[in-house]
Formats: sequence, structure tokens, C-alpha cells
Amino acid sequence: MEITLKKPKNIKTKNIIITIVYYFFLSVGALAMLLPFFWMLSTSFKFENEIFAVPIKWFPSKLTNFNFKRALEVQPLFLQMANTFLLALLKIVGEVFVSALIAFGFSRFEFKGKNVLFMILLATMMLPYEVTMIPSFIIWTKLGLTDSYVPLALPAYFGSATFIFFLKMYFETFPKDYEESAIIDGANYFTIFTRIFIPLAKPALITISLWSFMGTWNDLLGQLIYINSESKYTIQLGLSTFSSMTGEVLWGPLMAASAIGLVPVIFILLFAQRYFVEGVKMTGIKG
Amino acid sequence: MDKKKRRAGFLFVLPWIIGILLFTLIPMIAALYIGFTDWTIIGNAKFIGLKNYQDIFKNEDFYQALWVTVRYAIFAIPLTIITSLVISIFLSKNRKGVGIYRVIYYMPAIVSGVAVAIVFKWILDPTNGLLNSILAIFKIKGPDWLYDANWVLPSYLIMAVWGAGGGILTYLAALKDVPQDLYESASIDGANNLQKIWHITIPMLTPIIFYNLVIGIISAFRKFTDAYVLGGIGKEGNFYMIYLYDRAFSQYEMGYATALAWILFAIILALTLIVNITKKYWVFKAE
Amino acid sequence: MKKIFISVSLLLLMLFLASCGKKGRAENEFLFATWAAGTELREFNDVIRRVNEKADGEYTVSVQSIPADYYIKLSSMISANNAPDFFWLTQELISKYADLGAALDITSWFEDSDVLVPDDFFPGVLNSATYQGKYWGLPWIANPIMIYLNEDLFNLAGVELPSATADWTWEEFIDICREFKGMKTADGKDIYGCIVDGWPNIETFIWSGGGDILADDGTVLIDSEESLRGLANLHTIITEGLTPKYSEVGSLGSNNVWFEKGRVAMFMGGVQDNFEYKQTFVSEEERFPIKYAPMPKAPDGGQWAFDWTASTIVSPKVKNKDLAYKALEALTLEFFTWKLAPPIIGGEEKIKEIAPLKEDAYETIVYTLQFARSANYLPEWSKINDKLWYDLYLLMLQNKPNFNYETETRKIANYTRNLLKE
Repeated sequence: MEITLKKPKNIKTKNIIITIVYYFFLSVGALAMLLPFFWMLSTSFKFENEIFAVPIKWFPSKLTNFNFKRALEVQPLFLQMANTFLLALLKIVGEVFVSALIAFGFSRFEFKGKNVLFMILLATMMLPYEVTMIPSFIIWTKLGLTDSYVPLALPAYFGSATFIFFLKMYFETFPKDYEESAIIDGANYFTIFTRIFIPLAKPALITISLWSFMGTWNDLLGQLIYINSESKYTIQLGLSTFSSMTGEVLWGPLMAASAIGLVPVIFILLFAQRYFVEGVKMTGIKG
Repeated sequence: MDKKKRRAGFLFVLPWIIGILLFTLIPMIAALYIGFTDWTIIGNAKFIGLKNYQDIFKNEDFYQALWVTVRYAIFAIPLTIITSLVISIFLSKNRKGVGIYRVIYYMPAIVSGVAVAIVFKWILDPTNGLLNSILAIFKIKGPDWLYDANWVLPSYLIMAVWGAGGGILTYLAALKDVPQDLYESASIDGANNLQKIWHITIPMLTPIIFYNLVIGIISAFRKFTDAYVLGGIGKEGNFYMIYLYDRAFSQYEMGYATALAWILFAIILALTLIVNITKKYWVFKAE
Repeated sequence: MKKIFISVSLLLLMLFLASCGKKGRAENEFLFATWAAGTELREFNDVIRRVNEKADGEYTVSVQSIPADYYIKLSSMISANNAPDFFWLTQELISKYADLGAALDITSWFEDSDVLVPDDFFPGVLNSATYQGKYWGLPWIANPIMIYLNEDLFNLAGVELPSATADWTWEEFIDICREFKGMKTADGKDIYGCIVDGWPNIETFIWSGGGDILADDGTVLIDSEESLRGLANLHTIITEGLTPKYSEVGSLGSNNVWFEKGRVAMFMGGVQDNFEYKQTFVSEEERFPIKYAPMPKAPDGGQWAFDWTASTIVSPKVKNKDLAYKALEALTLEFFTWKLAPPIIGGEEKIKEIAPLKEDAYETIVYTLQFARSANYLPEWSKINDKLWYDLYLLMLQNKPNFNYETETRKIANYTRNLLKE
């Protein structure tokens, strides 16, 4: 028998007030998040003399595409973005899948030395890479593999500590009984991993894919050290040319180029966020 | 746990172990050795035993850099975790348009550190910057931010909060998996929203909070990029990594800098171990 | 399975791509590392192309541009035994690289050359490449500072412009700054006589009193009477408000913008600064006639102009040193046709070709070059400079009431003496 309750009027108004408050706070925060981006974008369209005008000019009085033209003249930004995409792609496949594999091992199994190994994993994130950077560079130079994407991409195929750590914690939110029934049915661990855990972990996997992509997109120092040829330049290297050694910064073109560099990442983000919709999962395993 | 299962677990983790042996172990051992030398990168390295460490502990710059960093960490870590958590809970509901908000709140995390710093350099400008201009609307005279020793820490904390949205993906990914019927049965038991959050949402998120806490500790102590661009009057912006970087690459004292890195490593490791020990008191394992 | 297959093939593809084109350099192939990037790099590549053409096969030079973190990548390459054959160094690092064995001692070739000898260079400039009596590189530029003047502001204030080769003192300079105090632009913004925000550097002010940082024999002169007198000039300019406040300077982006926007009457900038070029882009109202004057005179008679200079260094690991030096000379001579200003005596004739926009400044530039000066940049300079900035200059800029710059200067001088003893 169904019982329908009619919502009394004051609960309805309460809900409306909650909704308004909710959106208000959310929007104020969102505005704060967006303002710096807005300035970046608006600066890209300003003439040089308006960039640091006093008082601030929010909207350029005259739009100009001079900065964009200049930026693209100075650097083949689209080629550099393509290169970065290539490098990101090479890394994602390794980083995401292999990290998941390893995290699975750390979270669902007990074996001798596991805790020690996991602490070592955490420890590798604690030593600043600036001090291991040059020894690594020396090794890669001896191997003759500099001026390529190999030093940057190959380690990805052995997992990335941050991602492994995150996925391990994420897997720990799954109840034990997820594998139990599958084991009883005789499935081997690899199948359990691919058939059960991977699909269930989609949002987490999307998260680390996004991180992996952004990590590649934003990494200046690593790419600078290992890439020599201009044809292999990534977007960060291209952007770095807008500030010179002597301290002169081309603000307009720099903002324009940075804005161009952000576009692909925002698109990917828009695409990825769909997977974070709250699910309708229930406790208990589906048959 | 039976032998077969233990071996399977080990196999899953094997790629990471191989990766460590190939890519991490040798540079780390090299870095350990370098800490005991007077290596200048472009010159030769002479073994000097513990001299670097002795010099570090006698040097007031070391303590100053450590203090700047610790002070920042004490505030930034809880601030960002709580902000991140609150935002995530707000954004986990399926209200209209929440997808756009998710993108907006996450966007600060996608921009490269250098671009963020450059934009904030303008935002925090005492005369003309966005922040002081907004305060002026409310008839408040804004402080000199990065030019005032008392306001350098708050400046960096503002940047940290602005970027706090970076953690929301981790929480949203986990929140997606919180089974709906838990909330429903809680409603039936008469729980209100706040109680639901405290008794269901947060406990389910504790593994992710643990992740963000450890990562938060590591990033707070390794803070570098924005401080490198922005500094801060006097030595107020002299974070530990800035100090290290300066010794390594401006003073060409890589031996000393590497010793600094190991000290930082020890500090972070100690803190993480402490957090790890407390883990069993507050991190819930599913079911 | 499919995923594993894809991953492995990608891996092999990468390795294949990577190993393509990996050969060492022949004895007559030289790699030149530079921080030039963007448009500067294109100009640099043109210079290299001309050098290669003239070399006619005897040697070839290729370019490695390092657009960011130049010294990190450079030192990494050197440490990995893969140093470039030629590389640029700014003057403060030359002694350090020489000390650590990362630079080739070119004294013998330099002194015996038929083409370019030490006496050809302005002494102040060549000093920057000299260490322990030997030469470690060939300077390719002299960019000393001179004073850019906003003629409109001078007319507005009713002050006479210093002449292009004025023989004026620092007292006179400061007096002129005072004339601009209190003036405002059409929309009520403050106008200043000059701008000091860490630039010009502390060397400039120490020299302005006739002092110096380190004498040639290594004596520390930071706290000498003359140096303190020079610092007093800095102190006066800041405390009397003749320059915008330190916290305000960033509001226009950088210090040069203050001059460009007509907020500062006199700007101390390098001869290479491109104010004239930028003027071609601005509107009629924003444009103003730019005039020039040399740096003011110190009590020791010198109109010392800090010289930003850099040299081309040869790696000691280069195989054929004779050939390398030959290439170095050719490269340096070609650089003299590119950058303002060529650091050689008589090179000023080329200025009009190199920088046509700077024609009006020609007289001042030539005059200034004779006073181009570098400090004695010993390997310990980075530590000394750190102290001079954080403990002295920065605190002076903040104009804190109980800060005594003289006491601090003596402290730093003693620190330097102890440092150099070790």
C-alpha cells in the first residue's frame, strides 16, 4: 500500500530557501574561482597599454587579436600541443592501467613485506625530484636516450606512486564481499580485476587519467631537461619562450598562449565530469 | 590468506617493484651519496662525510626556511582538506547545473603552477590588484600582501584555498559509490542532512581523506612553484624548497642541497608514519 | 590482452623513434647552447647561418636553444659529460665555471690572435671575462646603463635637460629628481624623478660614491667611506620619495612601464632597452620625445655605468681546441654585428646599422661605453649578492624607520671578509 504524504507548505519554502542559499554560496565561490581566468582571457584581447592600466580595465575597450597572432607567430603552439597530446597519450595508457593493477595488489591481498613495500611507495613521493633529477639525467644520457620522449614516458609503464596510492585507498572503500562470490565461482584474480574492479572504479580511473594528462600538460622542468629539438617541443616549452632570460615578459602574448593551452584541458574536464554523477548503487552484489 | 593468493598479490605489485629497481633506486642511492660530498654539478665531487649536515644545522637560513614551511603547512593542510571536503559534498548532489560548477571549482587545479602564480601576482598587487580593488569597494584598505611581512603567509593561504578544488575529484569519485540505500534507511530513522553527512558520508570518505592528508603533507612541505615566481618580502617567501633550489642551482652546492632534501624526506616520512599509525583509529574500511 | 599488446607496441615505437639519429659530433661540428628563444632565437640562428657560410665547410655550428631554466639544463649537460662546445654565460658566473673546470682557458689563443686581441675590447667589459689573470670567454655584448629622459616631463617641470654627454654629478641628478616631486599627470597620478626598485643594482650605487665591492686584489671595499657615500645616494632617493614606493612598482607590471607611461622622468636603463621600438606602437597622446644622458659622475671622476654583459665560453672537453677557438672568433665577430653594443673599441660605428631606432642615442652610447664597468665577480659572488640584496637593498627599499644601512653594510663587509678567507 502506498502512502502519499503531502508536503506541508513550510517545508516547501524551507526547501526553496535551502536551494537559494545553496546556489548563492556555490556561485560566489565559483566567481572567485573564475575571476583569475577571466582576467587571463581578457588580457589576451587587450592592447599592450591596457594590460596594466590603472584602474583595472575588466573589459578591453578595443578587442584585438594581436596577442594571439603574435603568440602563434613566435611559437608553433598547435604543433606543440599535438606533441604534448602524443606524450600524454603514451603515458596515460601505462600510468592508469598499470597503476590500477598495482593498487589492486596492494589493497586486496596480504603478502609478506606488503606494508614495508607500501611505505617505500609513499617514501618515493617524499624525496624532492630536484636531487634525483641530475643523476637520472646522467643515466639517460649514457643510454643515449635524451632528446626523446622515452625518459618521460617509459617510467609511466611501471605505475605512478600517487595514482597507486589513491587507487589503493579507493579500492579500500569497496567491501570485501565484492570478490568473494567471484572467487567461489572459480574466477582467477586477473579476471576479477578486469571484470569487476575496473568497471566499478570508473570515476577513480577517470580522475587519474585526468591527473596524468594534466601532469604531462603542465610539466616544464622534466620536458625541458630531456627535450632538445624544437620539433619535439611541448606546450610548456613553447610558453616558456614568452618570458626571457633578461626578465622581459611579453604579457599579452603570454596570456594568449596560456589561454590557448588551457582549452584542450577544459574540454577534457567537461567531458570527464559527467562520470561523477552520484550513482544509484546499492549494497550487496548484483547477481 | 593462502599461498596462491599471496603470490597473486605479489605478482600484481611486481611491475612497480621492477620500476623502482630500474628508475628510482639508482638515482636515490646516488642522491644519498651526493649528500655526503661537496658536488657542484659542473665540477667534481669530493667525499666530505657529514659536513653538509653539520653545516645545515648551524645555518640560520635553514631554520628560517623550515619555519616558513612548517607555519604554512600547519594552516594550509587543514584549510585545504576541509574546503575541499565541503565543496565536494556540495557538489555531490545532482542538482541542476552542478556539472558546470564541478568544472569551475576544479579549474584552478588544471592550470600550471607558473600561470597561477603570474595571475596571482596581479591579483595580490597592493596598488592595483583585484583583491585590493574589491576591498576598496567595501571601503577597506587592503594590506600590501606579498610586500608586507605579516601578509605573505595569508597570501599563500589564499592561493591554497583557491586551488583547494583540486581534491574534489577524489571525493566525488568515492562519493559516487556510497550506496543510496544507506541514506534512505537513515532518512527513515529520522536523520537530517547534517547527521547523514556526519555519520554516513564522512566515514565512507575517510580512506580518501587519508589519501588527501598524506598528499597534503607532502605537497605543503614540497611547496615550490608559486613561491618561486612570487617570493614574498624578505625571506618570508623562502620556503624550504626555494632554499634548496637556490643552493642547488644558483650556488651550485648540490651536495648541501641534497642533504637538505634528505632532511626534508625524513621530516615528511616521520609525519606520514605518525598519520599512518593513527589510521586505524579513524579510517573506516568498507563493511 | 589487447591493452597489453597496445602498450608494448607503443613502447617499442617510442624506443625506435628515440634511437633514430643518435650519433656523436665530429671534431669539426660544434654545438652552441644559448638562452635565446622565440624571436631572439631566429636572429641567433641567422647569425649562426652566416658563420657557417663563411666557414665554408671547415666547421659547422649547430644550435641548442634552452628557453627556460637555462643554467639547470646547462649544468646537467655538463655533469653528464655531454657539455655543449660553446655556451653563453652571464658575467657573474664566469669565475665560478672557470674555478670548477667547466670553462676553457683561452688566454694563449686570445693573446696570439691576428683578428681579435684583448686590447680591442673596452677594459671594463673584458674584466668580466677575466679571472685569476686569465681569459675564459669572449664577451659578445656590452649593455651599459644610460639615462633615458622624458623631454615632455622636463618641459612641464621647467627643468633643463642634461646634455647627451653631460658631465653631471650625482648631487645634480638628485636635485633634478627633487624638481619632479609633487608633480602629477593629467589624471592625478604621481610623477617621479626616477625609479629604483632593486634596479639599478647595488653596484651602481656603491660606485656612485667612488666605492666598490671588491678591489682587484680581493680587498673588501663594501664598507669603505666611498661606498657608504654612494649608498647614501640610494638612501636619499628612497627616503625623500623621489622614486615610487617599492610595493607600488609592481602595479604597472615592471619598472620600465613607469617610464613608458610618463610617470617617471628619468629611467636608468641599458643602452639596449627598446623604448624607442615600443613608442612606435603607442597612441599619439602617450608618445613623448626621448632624450639621453650618461650616468652621473662619481667623486672619483668616473661616470660609471653598470655593464650587463655576457660571454661565449668554450667547453674544456672540446676535442680540437684550435679549430674551436677559430670558430669562437668568427662567432664573436658576427655577434658584434647583431647586438647593441659591440664591446670593442671602434665598434660603435656599427651601432647605427645594428639599431637604427637608437640613432639619437648614438652620442650617449659611445660616451657611456668608455665607462662600462663590471664588478669583480668572484665565485663567492652569489652568496655576497644574496646578503647585499636581502639584508641591505631590500630593507632600504622598504624604508623601515629603525633600519641603519651603514651598520648593516659593515656587517655584510665583515661577512664577505670571512667568506673570502675560507
